[in-house]
Amino acid sequence: MPKLTIDGREIEVEAGTTIIQAAELLGIEIPRFCYHERLAIAGNCRMCLVEVEKMPKPVASCAMPINEGMVVKTNTPTVKNARQGVMEFLLLNHPLDCPICDQGGECDLQDQAMAYGKDHSRCDEQKRAVDKKNFGPLIETAMTRCIQCTRCVRFANEIAGAPELGALGRGEHMEITTYLNQALDSELSGNLIDLCPVGALTNKPASFTYRSWELKSTESVDAMDALGSAIRIDTRGNQVIRILPRVNDDVNEEWLSDRSRFACDGLSLQRLDKPYVRRDGKLAATTWSDALSVLAAKVKSSMTGRMAFIAGDHSDAETLVAAKDLAAAMGTTHLDCRQDGAALEAGLRASYLFNSTIAGIEHADALLIVGSNPRIEAAVFNARVRKRWLTGKLKVAVIGPKVDLTYKYEWLGDNPSILADIAAGTHPFAATLKAAANPALILGQGAVARTDGSAVLGLARKVADTTGMVKDGWNGFNVLHTAASRVGALDLGFVPGTGGKNVAEIVAAAGKGELDVLFLLGADEIDISGLGSTFVVYIGSHGDFGAHRADVVLPGAAYTEKNATFVNTEGRVQRTRLATFPPGEAKEDWKVVAAVAEALGKALPYTTLSQVRERLSAVNPVFAQIDMVAPASWGTFGQDGSVLPQPLTSTIKTFYAVDPISRSSKTMAQCQAAFGEDQCQRKTGTHG
Amino acid sequence: MNAITIYVPIDSAARSVGADDVAEVIQTEAAKRGIEIKLVRNGTRGMLWLEPLVEVATPAGRIAYGPVTVNDVAGLFKADFLKGSPHHLSRGLTDQIPWLKSQERLTFARLGITDPLNPDDYVAHGGLAGLIKALPLSPAAIVAEVAESGLRGRGGAGFPAGIKWKTVHDAVADEKFVCCNADEGDSGTFADRMVMEDDPFMLIEGMTIAAIATGATQGYIYVRSEYPQAKLHLEKAIAIALDHKWLGDNILGSGHRFHLDVRVGAGAYVCGEETAMLESLEGKRGIVRDKPPIPALVGLWGKPTLVNNVLTLASVPVILAKGAAFYKNYGVGKSLGTQAFQLAGNIKQGGLVEKSFGVSLDELINGYGGGTHTGRPIRAVQVGGPLGSYVPAHQLTIAADYETLTSIGAIMGHGGIVVFDDTVDMARQAHFAMEFCAEESCGKCTPCRIGSTRGVEVMNHIIAGTKVPENLKLLDELCEIMATGSLCAMGGLTPLPVRSAMTHFPEDFHKHPPATQRVA
Ligand SMILES: Cc1cc2nc3c(=O)[nH]c(=O)nc-3n(C[C@H](O)[C@H](O)[C@H](O)COP(=O)(O)O)c2cc1C
Ligand code: SF4
Ligand code: SF4
Ligand code: FES
Repeated sequence: MPKLTIDGREIEVEAGTTIIQAAELLGIEIPRFCYHERLAIAGNCRMCLVEVEKMPKPVASCAMPINEGMVVKTNTPTVKNARQGVMEFLLLNHPLDCPICDQGGECDLQDQAMAYGKDHSRCDEQKRAVDKKNFGPLIETAMTRCIQCTRCVRFANEIAGAPELGALGRGEHMEITTYLNQALDSELSGNLIDLCPVGALTNKPASFTYRSWELKSTESVDAMDALGSAIRIDTRGNQVIRILPRVNDDVNEEWLSDRSRFACDGLSLQRLDKPYVRRDGKLAATTWSDALSVLAAKVKSSMTGRMAFIAGDHSDAETLVAAKDLAAAMGTTHLDCRQDGAALEAGLRASYLFNSTIAGIEHADALLIVGSNPRIEAAVFNARVRKRWLTGKLKVAVIGPKVDLTYKYEWLGDNPSILADIAAGTHPFAATLKAAANPALILGQGAVARTDGSAVLGLARKVADTTGMVKDGWNGFNVLHTAASRVGALDLGFVPGTGGKNVAEIVAAAGKGELDVLFLLGADEIDISGLGSTFVVYIGSHGDFGAHRADVVLPGAAYTEKNATFVNTEGRVQRTRLATFPPGEAKEDWKVVAAVAEALGKALPYTTLSQVRERLSAVNPVFAQIDMVAPASWGTFGQDGSVLPQPLTSTIKTFYAVDPISRSSKTMAQCQAAFGEDQCQRKTGTHG
Repeated sequence: MNAITIYVPIDSAARSVGADDVAEVIQTEAAKRGIEIKLVRNGTRGMLWLEPLVEVATPAGRIAYGPVTVNDVAGLFKADFLKGSPHHLSRGLTDQIPWLKSQERLTFARLGITDPLNPDDYVAHGGLAGLIKALPLSPAAIVAEVAESGLRGRGGAGFPAGIKWKTVHDAVADEKFVCCNADEGDSGTFADRMVMEDDPFMLIEGMTIAAIATGATQGYIYVRSEYPQAKLHLEKAIAIALDHKWLGDNILGSGHRFHLDVRVGAGAYVCGEETAMLESLEGKRGIVRDKPPIPALVGLWGKPTLVNNVLTLASVPVILAKGAAFYKNYGVGKSLGTQAFQLAGNIKQGGLVEKSFGVSLDELINGYGGGTHTGRPIRAVQVGGPLGSYVPAHQLTIAADYETLTSIGAIMGHGGIVVFDDTVDMARQAHFAMEFCAEESCGKCTPCRIGSTRGVEVMNHIIAGTKVPENLKLLDELCEIMATGSLCAMGGLTPLPVRSAMTHFPEDFHKHPPATQRVA
């Protein structure tokens, strides 16, 4: 490893490291605007200049790879002068409207001007004014503040695969704009806001609602899809103002999808903040004790075994284990977490996990995507696939919807029988998978949430077995989930017990009057209208489909309002943290379930969070391993059997409205209006 | 009697002063007189002040008449110019014109002598000799020969061609490219254009040798949009070369493969910067790329790419044909070979002077150039294009080679020399330099993008006479930041003309402007 000296301090770093990175390792700070460690190097702002011995001019430290014996100085008068000069130049064109800028207090320009700038400007010229641009409903633009660092352009073009953002004009007339000034059509657009070092691109829905220093931050985990991205929830009082990504290289790097970031207004809309009981056909607010006694009376009059539980997509593990224990205490085996009817079984963990891990996809060299549109189902993950694809080392093929995924792929068709051909080795892509060092497949919920789902699952498993996807140190069999609750629920065995009914059977039984009481744990994605005259108890946060049908509504907490456990699609056990309190009389959901149990005379044997968590680990030891992914052992799963010719599709039809929170969000509704219903069907355009 | 051959240049500089009309009138006049002539549209000889220069082939050699207008044609016939007879426009034997005779035309040996698109003419006048010498050599041996010749890049930076060639040669890749930079944007330069219009096979030959030496199989010539005739001639010449197997899948039966295409730029000066040129070739906005990686390793579409100026590549055939030892006999110190100096601006005898490096500016400007066109004393000359320094008249005695020019803070650039007489206002020239940079900056980096615009504003104040000492100090600091901080030479060198004007002509920065000239 080459050695170099920076400001008289020696350091040994890996070849290919840049000066700015080496300096960072030494804790020497070099100011920068355009450099960002996850974007291609641009070298345009010139704020990071340093002197290198034997080089005639100062060099951009962000762009200069180190050499053996290099002697770098970051604190010479020349460097200081250059920084001051660049700073002065940038401020010349900058409107200096910090008092009304949402970036105020967290602006790189502001910070660096304080640290490296002069105390006064020597310019009395007209500042450059640039027209506002239309970046869509999520991003407010004030392009007069833009310092042309091109971070946004690089993010959009490289990471998000959204080529419509670019620069126009030369010299001082250079402007950042979208193609034909159209809204930026990307599920990752919010990241531009984080990347923009100044206040040129800001959070539109949150515009002018906060000053950064008034906000309290809580580190948490996202539940708006099954990735479990690391997030920071910024609140003022009891309101979530904005949600930002945190760095988690294993999951989301430092990106966040627009739904996870911008649906947060939905957290304070359509909220259930009191218990309700249906009286004379109408839901009426009531007290907890009244609601619970109405419920208890109903349960008492019902027969054993005529009760069922359906878990929703946001159910946390604590709630699930409590509900499962309650179901057992009530003697029913009718419980299920697979609202969409996915034919995934609890038990063998490898059969429902994203085994290669999310970051592991960067080692894959052949990838078969089956019944999934990862761009819509897991936008941040999709950017990883694109990242790998951009290296030229990943071949992708799709069996399923032919949509623009931001990378090129070979479309094999949408008939699940192609899987059989690949498993049999008669399809040409079988050879590609076999030749790959790390072949992988992604099985979307669209592949298993069908009547022949178990057979499709079986075929996918055969493909994995016959193409060498599962071996020492590599398991390329990946199930991509869309619901934050799903893996945790499967880990807890929240599926029908002996003689128990699954979701479809529960709904059918309810419709036929064969069920007396149905508990919906935030389950809104089932056929609500088909529940007949069954007594429905809805435990959840939002007045969505389920609550509207319910006979008793018990208000619960959203994922930002509780300390709760979720297991992501890889099997990573993570915990959210309470950032605001549940509204009104709402409670953390597991406590609601515990209250129900008590009212039914079946009090659960735990009363504190740590006791519930002990129970979780007792049911499945994976719950004791926080933030980790343990490799799951392989086996045989799925059914033999023929598959139907119905085309494989994605289960998600619209990116902006998939759950009660996003359906309640006005921002998401605006996006829906701006980008149209058929956004998920975006055809493969420039990407092949 | 055999038809007499008459030459009328097809070079666009000659055409711009009426060569096409002259050619037509000569033909009608000959027909009228029942004389059979053979009219050849040759390239220019580079004596632009004599254009249109008509030559007649006589047993004694080619006799020149110029500058000829359509009105002179009848008189020329009357004076029996077809026999080379005297006429007030006669310049005698072209080869013997001192302006031409005293030059050292190595690269431009065929300039104006041949029909640019006649392959037989090309071969008859020494064309292809370099390629034929190169074919049996190993690529490494060709690279070594070029390195040994001391050839340096003629595009501006003067980087040793041999080192660049070796880098591309040594790079391992499935595909490599040779790109010829023919964006020729420097003010007062035209030598690239002359190569492309008047001896295109030479460039093709040079690029083919470069391709064989570096292992490239595809080449591009990036021609500025203002050069339609160069594009046309190149395209025709490429088609002919393909027919003759000078290009293609099996060059002269050697098994070497090289294909060549012409691409046209979109009129931005900065697209002459090599990485911006590569972006433009890839179909993107012409924005400068950050280096490293250098284009020789990661160039066009990410592949190792040799980027050389037209003149660099055009110098290669003669180096291979006559050997490195022959070539480096010319020139001085580390500036070996000859340079195509291009005399322009306020000059009496403008044109192309190919001389060994080391010739004095004075000899070029007053000797060849004959002083100013206006007849007034010279005050300043700008050497090396719009980013070059202004050299004051008293420094003209210095030698024109890379090192000497650098020693007085000037640059060679692309060899363009623009002359100004004593009426020039150097503050306005400094203003112009900043304005040019503001106009042409690609906008990528802060010092150039904002510094140049700011520079124009400051110059406006200085010219208007406001707070001159403060603004001069500001201007100098601004120049310092542009020079140290800019990503490429556009912003990095703009301070050269500005500061040289400030240093050598301070008086121009301190006078109040006449009211009529006040700058807004
Ligand atoms: C703003 C700018 C404009 C340039 N314009 C040209 C040009 O028109 N032609 C050219 O050959 N080189 C030009 N160059 C130099 C090229 O970047 C590059 O150095 C050259 O093409 C390399 O070829 P050479 O080594 O044969 O000189 C320019 C450089 C800059 C910074
Ligand atoms: S908008 Fe922001 S991120 Fe984009 S170039 Fe301007 S300053 Fe940089
Ligand atoms: S110096 Fe000027 S032309 Fe060169 S990269 Fe910077 S902005 Fe572009
Ligand atoms: S941070 Fe290095 S040039 Fe911008």
